Amino acid sequence: MTEPTLYETLAAVLAKEFLNGEVGFTGLLTGKAAAMFGTAIPIVAMELARRTHAPDLTLLLAGCYHNPDFSQLEAMPDSEHDAVLRDLSTEAQTYDYPGQWALKRGDISFGFSSAVQVDTVGNINSVCIGPYDKPKVRLVGPILQPEHMTLFRREYIMMPHHDRRNFVEKVDFISGVGFPGGEAGRKSLGLAWGGPALVLTPKCVFDFDRVAGRIRVRSIHEGIGHDELRNATGFDLGDLSGVPTTPRPSDDELTIIRREIDPRRILFSPT
Amino acid sequence: MPSPSPKLQSLEEAAARVPDGTRLAFGGFAVYQKPMGFVRELVRQGRKNLTVVGSAQSYDVDLLAAGGCLSCVETSYVGLEKHGLARHYRRAVERGEVKVVDYPEMVSWDRFRASQEGLAFWPVPFLGGSDIVRYNPAIKPFACPMTGHPMHAVPAADVDVVVIHALAADERGNVVFPARRLLPQSNDVLMGRSCDTVIVTVEKLVSNAFIRKHSRLVELPSYKVSSVVELPYGAHPTPALGAYHADEKHYGEYVAASESAEATAAYLKKFVHLDGGNDAYLEAVGAAQLARLKDMDSLL
Repeated sequence: MTEPTLYETLAAVLAKEFLNGEVGFTGLLTGKAAAMFGTAIPIVAMELARRTHAPDLTLLLAGCYHNPDFSQLEAMPDSEHDAVLRDLSTEAQTYDYPGQWALKRGDISFGFSSAVQVDTVGNINSVCIGPYDKPKVRLVGPILQPEHMTLFRREYIMMPHHDRRNFVEKVDFISGVGFPGGEAGRKSLGLAWGGPALVLTPKCVFDFDRVAGRIRVRSIHEGIGHDELRNATGFDLGDLSGVPTTPRPSDDELTIIRREIDPRRILFSPT
Repeated sequence: MPSPSPKLQSLEEAAARVPDGTRLAFGGFAVYQKPMGFVRELVRQGRKNLTVVGSAQSYDVDLLAAGGCLSCVETSYVGLEKHGLARHYRRAVERGEVKVVDYPEMVSWDRFRASQEGLAFWPVPFLGGSDIVRYNPAIKPFACPMTGHPMHAVPAADVDVVVIHALAADERGNVVFPARRLLPQSNDVLMGRSCDTVIVTVEKLVSNAFIRKHSRLVELPSYKVSSVVELPYGAHPTPALGAYHADEKHYGEYVAASESAEATAAYLKKFVHLDGGNDAYLEAVGAAQLARLKDMDSLL
């Protein structure tokens, strides 16, 4: 078995988080790194969970296409709502809102967000860099982040780049709410459930001290030194001495990913 | 018996329903099925100070920004998906020329649901802690009268005009949608039911007999529609489901042109500031290119 890639490792980390019977919602992101972290890794993770411990997991591609048959695709689609997806084989197709799922009832177990900034309490930002009224950079807008971070039962933040400008003390605009004031803080804001569970980056996996409402390093990827991680992060990471290395996928997991889920390498295409 | 009144109008006549300062919505969603032919006409006529309200925007808002037609956008997303940020829009916002009011994606739909139901607001239970509330005085906090749960009242979309692009309508304004529709077309239906002035551009004008044959698919009947404009390829370069795919070649040309003022002016001269209306636009794109975009849909 050849060495696991970073993407295979992250998919295996995520797969272990999902429970049988859950509903996972992934967008269809574009652009090499964003598509890998926002779409390909989540799909492989959900397919791996379905083939191991969670056969009743429902995968929602682009939030609409229930359990698509990826074997019918010649390449990953790069548009969310066009004729290619209309014609994709699925178990159920969402074509209206309200549709099959109801966000406010908590029908979605987990989702995946990408953002330009993440801060120490797990807030995320895709709206602007700099002051809101006269931004230095105007970004795309909040999109579905507010719903992902409050109405989904939990959220995985997928960060294709790990740099000081992405991991900041405080985001310039809160488009998705993390744990300000911890879980008690979320309750006082009227948020009954949800929030970020993990943040996955090319260098590490973060989780949260949900009482204090503070991000912390859960594991560091193989080959990444403590200094490298600190230099790439815009906030204090605290004591890293007890932090483990991100676990490798097992040979069985790698075999399932390579032979069953993605034999034609349309998700984890060779770089 | 007198004949029913035709709703058929020319593109120029229909665009006159959108004067300077109009608050309007465009159907479709993100980069899918945008009424681009109508947007081009607004730019050609030099419209000013428009406010666009919607769910997710792309080439529609960006082209209005390129033409200097825009003063405000209320939506959840403005971008070109795989082609990146909407450059004209981005620059206009960063220069302070266009104001943005950000709403979450499904809340953007809910604002039209409020308008459809004749309500002034939609109740939203999940905005606590979000800067969307901090920067938007039109969103009002309130306690749920039943449970006391903290909530926010989000204002209805409340637009003056809705513009959508659909596959077909008859001249009375009965608009038909494909059975195998997706979210962008459902957004068209919602928007078309949420406003008193609804302009529908269509790929093809069809007979009343065709409409009667597909009556279950007539989601917008005549009395909901103000104007019908026959506008073949009226969503181009965005796709129209059941008719044609996105024109990726044209997207590339558009994005390249948006990098400089000179290239933008050349693009607008070639594709927008045309004397011959939509026919001249289709000539400029070219028959061979348009023919390649056909969506086969299902033959069943």
